[in-house]
Amino acid sequence: MNTTYVAVLELAAGAVLVSAVMTLWRRNVRSIISMLSLQGIALATAAIVLGWHEHDVALFVTGGLVLVVKGLVVPGVLRRVARLDPRSRESRPLVNVPASLVIAALLIVLSYVVTSRITSLAPSDATRLVPIGVATVLVGYFMLVTRRRAVSKIVGLILVDNGIALVTFLLTSGVPLIVELGSSLDVLLVVVVLQFLMVSMVHHSDTEQLTEMKALHD
Amino acid sequence: MTSPLYSVIVTLVQVVLAATGGPLLIGLMAKVKARAEGRVGAPIVQPLRDLRKLMRKERLHARHSSVMLPLAPMVIFAATTVAVGISPLVSTRPLLGSSADIFVIVYLLLTGSVAAALGGLDAGTAFGGMGSSRAMTIGALAEPALLVAVIALSIQSSSSNLTTIVSATLAHPDWVFGPSRLLALGALGIVVIAETGRIPVDNPATHLELTMVHEAMILEYAGPELALYHLGEAMRVSLLFSLVATLFFPWGVATGHSVLALVVGVGALVVKTALVALAVALIEVRSAKLRLFRLPELLAGGFVLSVLAVVTGLVTR
Amino acid sequence: MGLLGLAAGFCAVAAMAAAFLARRARVVVSSSLGALGCLLAGASALVTLITGTTSTFYTSHLLPGAGLSLTLDPLGAIFILATSLVGVAACVYCVSYAHGPMASRAAMTLFMVFVLTLLVVPAASNVVSFMFVWELMALSSLLLILTDQSRNDDSRSAALWYGVMTQLGAASILLGLLLASRGSASTFSAISAHAAQLSPNVRSFAFVLVLLGFSSKAGAVPLHVWLPKAHPAAPSPVSALMSGSMVAMGVYGIIRVGQGLLHGGTVWWWVAVVTLGVVSAFYGALHSTTSTDLKRLLAYSTIDIQGLVLIGVGAAGVLGDSGQPFIAHLAMMAALMLVVAHAGFKGALFLSAGAVERATGTRDLDRLGGLIHTMPVTAFVVAISACSIMAVPTLSGFSSEWLLLQGLLHGFNDSSTPAMIVMLLGVISLALTGGLTAVAFVKAFGIGFLGQPRSTGAAQAIEVPPTMKIAMLWLVLPSVVLGLVPGEFVGLVNRAASSALGKTSLEPLDHGTGLVLAQLRGAVQPAELFMGVVGVLLLVSAANRLLEQRRARRVDAWGGGRDVQTARMQYTATSFAEPLQRVFADVLRPDTDVEVTHIAESRYYEQSLMYDNRVNDVLEQRGYRPVINLVLRAGRLAQRLQNGSIHRYLAFGFVALLVILVVLA
Repeated sequence: MNTTYVAVLELAAGAVLVSAVMTLWRRNVRSIISMLSLQGIALATAAIVLGWHEHDVALFVTGGLVLVVKGLVVPGVLRRVARLDPRSRESRPLVNVPASLVIAALLIVLSYVVTSRITSLAPSDATRLVPIGVATVLVGYFMLVTRRRAVSKIVGLILVDNGIALVTFLLTSGVPLIVELGSSLDVLLVVVVLQFLMVSMVHHSDTEQLTEMKALHD
Repeated sequence: MTSPLYSVIVTLVQVVLAATGGPLLIGLMAKVKARAEGRVGAPIVQPLRDLRKLMRKERLHARHSSVMLPLAPMVIFAATTVAVGISPLVSTRPLLGSSADIFVIVYLLLTGSVAAALGGLDAGTAFGGMGSSRAMTIGALAEPALLVAVIALSIQSSSSNLTTIVSATLAHPDWVFGPSRLLALGALGIVVIAETGRIPVDNPATHLELTMVHEAMILEYAGPELALYHLGEAMRVSLLFSLVATLFFPWGVATGHSVLALVVGVGALVVKTALVALAVALIEVRSAKLRLFRLPELLAGGFVLSVLAVVTGLVTR
Repeated sequence: MGLLGLAAGFCAVAAMAAAFLARRARVVVSSSLGALGCLLAGASALVTLITGTTSTFYTSHLLPGAGLSLTLDPLGAIFILATSLVGVAACVYCVSYAHGPMASRAAMTLFMVFVLTLLVVPAASNVVSFMFVWELMALSSLLLILTDQSRNDDSRSAALWYGVMTQLGAASILLGLLLASRGSASTFSAISAHAAQLSPNVRSFAFVLVLLGFSSKAGAVPLHVWLPKAHPAAPSPVSALMSGSMVAMGVYGIIRVGQGLLHGGTVWWWVAVVTLGVVSAFYGALHSTTSTDLKRLLAYSTIDIQGLVLIGVGAAGVLGDSGQPFIAHLAMMAALMLVVAHAGFKGALFLSAGAVERATGTRDLDRLGGLIHTMPVTAFVVAISACSIMAVPTLSGFSSEWLLLQGLLHGFNDSSTPAMIVMLLGVISLALTGGLTAVAFVKAFGIGFLGQPRSTGAAQAIEVPPTMKIAMLWLVLPSVVLGLVPGEFVGLVNRAASSALGKTSLEPLDHGTGLVLAQLRGAVQPAELFMGVVGVLLLVSAANRLLEQRRARRVDAWGGGRDVQTARMQYTATSFAEPLQRVFADVLRPDTDVEVTHIAESRYYEQSLMYDNRVNDVLEQRGYRPVINLVLRAGRLAQRLQNGSIHRYLAFGFVALLVILVVLA
């Protein structure tokens, strides 16, 4: 049974990172949001499997919370936001797609090299996977910096949050339920507020491309 | 039976299977695509019939071509045949199995691509140059993904010898669904589609020269030379599909010296390769051909997946 | 050592013959003597490698100070072997190639001196001898670049860049060696014995200084800018020696000082070496794909392959330091084998490029084509050498790259961080450069030799004289022999690697004709593979003959319905590389300009169109030129101090005197 736990945990962590890479790869905003919901589901799976192995009920509930918030609610809100702008493609990111994929590969290598030193201090099945979480954080940050559309930037922010959540789940085998609840609600609030902001942005200046906005309007 | 004789038989069986099965695989993929599109489609044996028809035709050489033109299909065929002969597809004991290094296979495939590109440039036409240029560019961008994915497999098995990888996977069934293997499979899937010239990388059925990649390199070939070229390409397709099937799912490969195991191995290989061909055909049906300058994205994605495979392999060791 | 001394003597006599004989005899006599000298040097190197012994020679008469001290050990021997391979071919090639400015007294004498220094550098064993021979090597090659002044701008600018960078490098090397020899005698053995007593910081500083100089010579990015200028500008036999042998001297220096003198040092030294190698390999491969000048393509390819060699050397250092001496040994063997293989195929390619230039009058691939019909031997040489670089199995490039891949692959068993970084970077770099190298050489051979001629020069080419052909074919032999039966040479390379790393009891590879790594479960038998491929080819030819009795009929090529196919409708080298140039545009930063002239009557019809595409070396444009401009501006500012007024100069002298008095007081 132990090997099944390890296998499922590895698959779930791997799926988190792969879906992060796929958001960098795909241009269609709807696909990006689907990848994000997939990542939420994978993260929830990791939390649930960890909770089942550690016999920790709080982790179970956290996993369910993550499933609902990050797997269903946040992507749903983002989809509604994306529908505001009919041009549904990320056509010209600041760094072109092949280059950003190669940079993502280098970031993954970097996170592995840097983190494996730390995790070798306390090796266990779960802590070995921490580099994957760190890599997700870096990829998310990169996406936040280099994409022009507001939706893509929000997706990057959520990737960072998911990465940090994965690292905390793996390292400490669970975060207190209150903390996870608080952080999920924070993220939800950010997304909802941003939805309102974008509605007014589109209304006022007919674009939600943030690079178009360099000067303050009166 | 004695070991050298067994190895010779294994190699011969693999080569004959690839030579007859390759065209059949192509016919199968065309049939699946036709049915999915609501057509009846040509019979599965059509490519074999096409080969027979081509053998009877006249041999033509372009005016400005040199010895490279007839040499290219021979080199492709020879390199692919040797690669098929030494890979452990049906059994773990083919001829020269000690040389069955995965890098040897990769570079033999590269040799075939180089020969094809040079054959395309030989006639001194614009289309040949265009095909060669595009094919070499795609090959150059797919090479990183291929090599790194192959290295991911080698790291896990602590050896780059194909027979060792197959035996190691048979001994560790839990590796098959590990994240490293799955990522390597994804990367190799993309590479195989690029190397065999299938949609979304290249359309093998196009007649518009400006949309061609692989087809443009063979515009000047006719008669028996074209037949040899098609046979070589079909064997390449068969080799790539069989390798993917065998490396990632080696059950059925004969490990001992018995004839029965060999027969089982043949059957298993046929079934597995046909399944891979089916999967590729379904991918072709679902996708449209990508613009040439969108291909670097796809291949860079394959590269990232293979780097991920290496890193997750190191992490989960 | 005696043989090497004899070889040096032959080369010295050759130089004197070049200086004193009349033109008719000069070239033939000096070239023959030089070739003999190289053969003797090669023989002495082989003897050293087979027996594994070290021999020394010392005289205090030839050089001031510490005198001339030579030590021939297996590490130096393998580099001398590489030099002798190329040297024999270059000298034989000279017999027909040298005419006009190349056959002058100065040029031939300098050429023989250059060959002599290349043979002696790996044997020099004290600081004075080493620096003397090193500087002589740099100086003679610098003057040889200026031989052919018909392309004036090119050679003068190339010589200037080369001169400045090589002198800065030599200064850096000298400083490093002096620092390393602080407190001991200046012979290499004394430095080596004393090294443990130096503080680690001193040792690291010395290594960094030495690395700067030697890596610049080896063409490591970003100190490589002289290479793509100098190698094309020199005459072809000189280019062959520079690319095949002189850049290897940079690698030799790094190994000798880093491993031999300073005993490995910290792991981070070798991580730096690998980083240099990784960047060079990728950068060199990328620029070689977009070069349309044949020799510039080859120069960048040299940067690429030397990058791979540096990856091997660095990996050996890292793994040795991390407690994996077995794999370190393997990586070093791979690097050394690649050095010898590179000498073979790069020398052949440069000599062939010279042959092409001689026959057609141009090096521009966009103006060549169809040479396989008129220059079949040259085409054969280029085909085999190009296949060897592209790592086609059963040739030498594949054997070396396979060994390197095995070294990197098995290095992953170590779990130390520097080793992981090195292995990952090395693997990714090898993967990226393999495909790019293939594109570059398919372009070189396919556009240059196949198809129709793109200019009258190419159409009127005739094959080169027999001595040039013999020289080129001689260099095909290493590619084939090292590829088919690498196992026979494994013992030699092993001894060289042992000498380099200081451990004599490791034998990663088993004996036999192929490459067998029994303990690591990896093996390649190229001879058997070759027989398999040849067997299939013979079967196919036999089948061909049975089926078709008639010969093939010549017909016009398919032109999409057009009747006429001209040579200008073919793909050129620029168009072949254009997709890759677009993909990597951010790294290459090409200058592209399109100018359209419309006809007077309507803006919808074009009269003419000009397309200008230039791929310059990015590091040169963005890195070096600003620095040069800064220096020039500082110089101009300083110039204002010299306005010719004698009063100002006297005032300077007076102020200087006052300052000195104040300081003394």
